[in-house]
Amino acid sequence: MSAMLEIEFRLNGVVQRTAVAADMSALEMLRDVLGLTGTKYGCGEGECGACTITVDGRTVNSCLMFAVDCNGREVQTIEGLSATPLGERLNHSLVAHGAVQCGFCTPGFMMQAQQVLAEHPHASREEIQRGLEGNLCRCTGYRKIIDAVEAVAHPTASAE
Amino acid sequence: MATTTLERTNTDSLIGRRIPKLDAPDKASGRTRYLHDINIPGQLHAKILRSSQVHARIVSIDVEAARRVPGVHAVITAADVPWQRPIGVTKDHLPLKSDIVRSRRDEIAAVAADTVEAADEALRLIRVTYEPLPVVATSAEALAPGAPLLHGEDLRAPGRGGALEVVHPASKDNVAMVHEYRQGDVAQGERDSAVVVEDVFWLHYVTHCCMGVSGVIAEFDPSGNLLLYSNTQVPFLHKREFAELLGIDPGRIRIIQPPIGGGFGSKLDIYPFEPIAIFLAKLTRRPVKLVFSREEEFIASPTRQPVLLKLRSGCDSAGRLTFRSVETLHDNGAYTSWGATTPFVMMQTISSLYRVPHCHYRTRAVYTNNPYAGSFRGYGNLQATFAVEAHMDKLADALGMDPLEFRLQNAQDPGETTPQGMHFRSCGFKDCLRTAAERSDYRAKRRANLAHWNDGNPIKRGIGIASMLHVGGGAKMYPSDGCGTIIKLDDFAKVTLITGASEIGQGSETVLAQLTCEELGLPIDAVTVVNNDTAITPWDVGVHASRTTFIGGNSAIGAARKAKRKILEAAAPTAGLAADELDLHGGSIVVKATGERVQDLGKFLRSLHFAEKADLVMTTYYYEPPSVHLDRQYRGDVSAAYSWATQVAEVEVDTETGVVRLLKITAAHDVGRVLNRLGIEGQIEGGIVMGQGYALTEDLLVEGGVIKNPNFRDYKLITAPEVPDVDVSFIETFDGEGPQGAKGVGEAPAICIAAAVANAIYNATGTRIYALPFTPEKVYRALRGKSTAPTWPESAA
Amino acid sequence: MTEIRDYVAPRSLADALRVLASGPATVLAGGTDLMPQSRAGRVRFAPTLLNVQGIDELRGVARDPGGVQIGALTTITSLLEDPLIRDRAPVLRTACDHFASSQIRNAATLGGNICNASPAGDTLVPLLVLGASVVLASAGPEGIVKRRLPLAEFLVGPGRTARRTDELLVAVQAPLPPAGWVDRYLKFGARPALDISAIALAVGGTLREGRLEDARIAFGAVAPTAIRASEAERVLSEGPLDRARIDRAVEAADATIRPISDVRASDWYRRELVHNLLRRVLNDVCDA
Ligand SMILES: Cc1cc2nc3c(=O)[nH]c(=O)nc-3n(C[C@H](O)[C@H](O)[C@H](O)COP(=O)(O)OP(=O)(O)OC[C@H]3O[C@@H](n4cnc5c(N)ncnc54)[C@H](O)[C@@H]3O)c2cc1C
Ligand code: FES
Ligand code: FES
Repeated sequence: MSAMLEIEFRLNGVVQRTAVAADMSALEMLRDVLGLTGTKYGCGEGECGACTITVDGRTVNSCLMFAVDCNGREVQTIEGLSATPLGERLNHSLVAHGAVQCGFCTPGFMMQAQQVLAEHPHASREEIQRGLEGNLCRCTGYRKIIDAVEAVAHPTASAE
Repeated sequence: MATTTLERTNTDSLIGRRIPKLDAPDKASGRTRYLHDINIPGQLHAKILRSSQVHARIVSIDVEAARRVPGVHAVITAADVPWQRPIGVTKDHLPLKSDIVRSRRDEIAAVAADTVEAADEALRLIRVTYEPLPVVATSAEALAPGAPLLHGEDLRAPGRGGALEVVHPASKDNVAMVHEYRQGDVAQGERDSAVVVEDVFWLHYVTHCCMGVSGVIAEFDPSGNLLLYSNTQVPFLHKREFAELLGIDPGRIRIIQPPIGGGFGSKLDIYPFEPIAIFLAKLTRRPVKLVFSREEEFIASPTRQPVLLKLRSGCDSAGRLTFRSVETLHDNGAYTSWGATTPFVMMQTISSLYRVPHCHYRTRAVYTNNPYAGSFRGYGNLQATFAVEAHMDKLADALGMDPLEFRLQNAQDPGETTPQGMHFRSCGFKDCLRTAAERSDYRAKRRANLAHWNDGNPIKRGIGIASMLHVGGGAKMYPSDGCGTIIKLDDFAKVTLITGASEIGQGSETVLAQLTCEELGLPIDAVTVVNNDTAITPWDVGVHASRTTFIGGNSAIGAARKAKRKILEAAAPTAGLAADELDLHGGSIVVKATGERVQDLGKFLRSLHFAEKADLVMTTYYYEPPSVHLDRQYRGDVSAAYSWATQVAEVEVDTETGVVRLLKITAAHDVGRVLNRLGIEGQIEGGIVMGQGYALTEDLLVEGGVIKNPNFRDYKLITAPEVPDVDVSFIETFDGEGPQGAKGVGEAPAICIAAAVANAIYNATGTRIYALPFTPEKVYRALRGKSTAPTWPESAA
Repeated sequence: MTEIRDYVAPRSLADALRVLASGPATVLAGGTDLMPQSRAGRVRFAPTLLNVQGIDELRGVARDPGGVQIGALTTITSLLEDPLIRDRAPVLRTACDHFASSQIRNAATLGGNICNASPAGDTLVPLLVLGASVVLASAGPEGIVKRRLPLAEFLVGPGRTARRTDELLVAVQAPLPPAGWVDRYLKFGARPALDISAIALAVGGTLREGRLEDARIAFGAVAPTAIRASEAERVLSEGPLDRARIDRAVEAADATIRPISDVRASDWYRRELVHNLLRRVLNDVCDA
């Protein structure tokens, strides 16, 4: 077995200390070691975005990140995002737009939507589509997800 | 369409409104616990060793080193479960293979260990030696004289008494199943024809790609009762099958269905991983969890049925269809799952989408060493529609007729009973055709595009139309096609709706809640739906055939009406009115004629409950649709209703690269009635994009029995930037049997996209492509005359 | 997968180089290649995993006397957002825009893309057009030793580079293109970015009086490494940019490439794409 290492980082705002194997992915650490199952495994290869988390304010695929590399960083998962005002807005918008079907992809979309809005607070439809390119959804056909993010980016336009 | 508030209709009926899914907030916040997220204390992790060979005799399996890995509790092969029983639609294979492997997914051994890592380590240490057998890579090869037989030996397994018996007899050829249907006299049809066209089509391999990979958790209690956490779409049928497999009473099996990360038909059959997890749980006496990797999901879950299809069709000079003759080879793969039965649906499209007097349809499902096909949203209909709609365009062209006119002339009308016995009580087909054509400006655009064929611009535009017919009121494939419901009202007028109908992400839970509340005059948040535990829920045949809204909906309405009658009858004496003069509305008992409030419903229920003759409001209902089984000639009205749709695709073709972009889909769907607008839009948009993937990007490359692209990197799902504009119209035909007039639509939206896109590519370029998918290289080759159209193999003559 | 016995995450370049000098180590940057490749068994870990992410001096884009210097740990996202790259080397920016997905761009580093040396690596094609060099560092007896190598020489084969095991890629250097410079980058596929290139191409040069001077053409995914098409470049530089010359350049490019067939495309199709798309891009430059 690979070496075990103690790491310390901030997880959803709280300091976390844990031991991980050197070859473990951040996704495995979150789900199997820390029990945060909102972050999903969809492919393990960076292709689906179900495992999206934020590290130092930017989204990454947690399945591609070495858990040890979390040391000293600021990590946010869907559990953390959901407890923020933006997380609540996104949640409401996805729900109201019918953007959730099986829901397996949704936490990843939530995380990535946050990134899109950070880059483009008033994101255009095309910017949203490009921003969500790394997230696969097999159920919805994406339109309602795009609508939902658009509604958060342009709150007045959609409140008519 | 982007409104966040609920659209108020003039009445406060719930029907037709945009009702968000009840389970959505939990899902979006990551709180929902899918099967993958469930961990049972003491559980072991299981992994399966699959064949490294496509076709081989197993000479030896050595598991000794694997058993010595620390943390490994069990390593099993077929020898450890001599009592295993066959699975599959024709019971043609055992979960663990002992003598011959017939595909790369074949299960040879399995491990249960404390950790996934230990299980993986053990797998690596299992040594299997093989003696390779010749590979049968295509259905044409399988039918060739002297082809190796895939199931040339009797399959034996212990029967009820324990003695070995033949469970699947040796087959003398590689034909797993034959389906043949005739109506009228095709020869006569040929004689009546002014135009006849014949082509061979190839419909490729694709797979479900549920975002949540497959998995199961199995656990036995000390008395040998089995608890299964499973994502099956048919829990009650599988209960029986598992019982048979284990030789125990079905009553001792309980299936809990945690939320599922997508179904689309992939969980309709039992696949070996489930029995294997059960074997491991039985042998280790520990809960066993088995979850696939994505690669395993590609290799070891079912595919859509790949089909080689020869279609011959004719029409007379007035543009009336005269006959249709179809022969197909279904590449069955190594074993028989539901894919082999897609002819049930395919022949409906062939015989009854348009009026055709004479028809012949024949399918042979042929064993090969390829992956095996299961059921997949649309169930053969994408394949059949692709061919039929190509010929509708070709025939119209040959006559010089407008393709829309040609279709309208042959389209079905309400009231029709087709020669195959399907009775169209409601049918909005012609409205679908007209609406989609008008809203997309089909006629004008089609003509305009033709003018650009030779204008020198490498970028071409095209528009294409296609339609579909699909069961929309269940499909009577089993003795019952019914669904049970239990309704319980509590002291505060909150409803628990206990339904047999499973939720697989399609939103049935919300629709059922809505239908119930509509009957009981309650707001949508007054309901809790329980639908995921066979120990609690009443029987249902399962999620397939777009049946849940229709069958589960009628069942819920039945139970709600009984509850309502019970309440109103009890309330009548106090109100001093007859029960039928009362109604339930806005959480109260009201006077029907005036809407005047008589009493708060919760208060009344409490009074009922604490009365002298105390009573609780609980009702049950079982709905069985008025459909019938197909007879031996494949005739019969199998569904209680039929859904229709027309879709128009607009594409842009880059003739210098072969890239086809789907720009817009204009769809018109006869859905009976819109119940939940938000939900139905989601189903349709999702289906359209699934159809887009089938048409343009998804291609499971199977060469010599080996899947070349078992990953999302090279198996390309559509992504957000690629989605087309969508314009959906709903044609409401208010089906007499449907719940509030609705019909099922779950499968419909994916069905005609590929057919419409093929017609659009032809309209753009003058090139017709007979093999899916339209990936850039394939399209480019076709445009340059560098591709060979599919041909009918001599061996299948 | 092999075992990792030691994990080190130094904060300075000198420390990292000492680790590399003392024995076999696997360098970890963004991990977007290393993680999937090690899981699939295509890469075996050395006993030591050397995480270089903590070495801040390897991050960032700066002007230097020779043009621009980009630290090896600069992420694709930072390149995309960098004003200097946007204004002076748009071909690199465009390539970064067509690179994977937002999540991957946030993690993936330029150094990782170069050291991974995939024939389809998306930054390699524009960097070749820009005439970039790589800077490699190792621990010497008197401190850090650096050497510079043109990128074309650094890329040796698929997944193979001229990096010695005791060296770290520390930066990429490229001259900034002169005034009048035009460039184009094109990644072929139906998806905008999350797609491994079936072919990619970049063109650059200085447009002056109807000629494309100092013309550069580079291709990805049509040879064992990303390559420059020097013969085609020569054809272009010889005279005015017109349709006839473009046709000759395309022919010359065809003679340079050595595409293979794989699950993404056949060799024949890759050649056709090179023809049609190079012609399209050059026509576009010509018309501009
Ligand atoms: C889903 C997906 C999509 C992708 N799409 C694209 C794409 O569109 N275009 C594209 O070009 N690539 C793509 N890639 C590949 C990958 O993201 C890039 O190659 C990326 O730039 C690698 O950088 P990294 O920092 O993640 O490298 P790592 O994975 O950390 O390292 C890659 C290799 O380089 C070595 N290495 C890294 N840094 C150094 C250094 N400074 N000195 C010496 N050796 C070093 C490592 O040891 C390793 O062998 C994709 C990958 C995935 C998973
Ligand atoms: S699980 Fe990480 S991208 Fe799919
Ligand atoms: S909602 Fe099912 S995958 Fe997106």
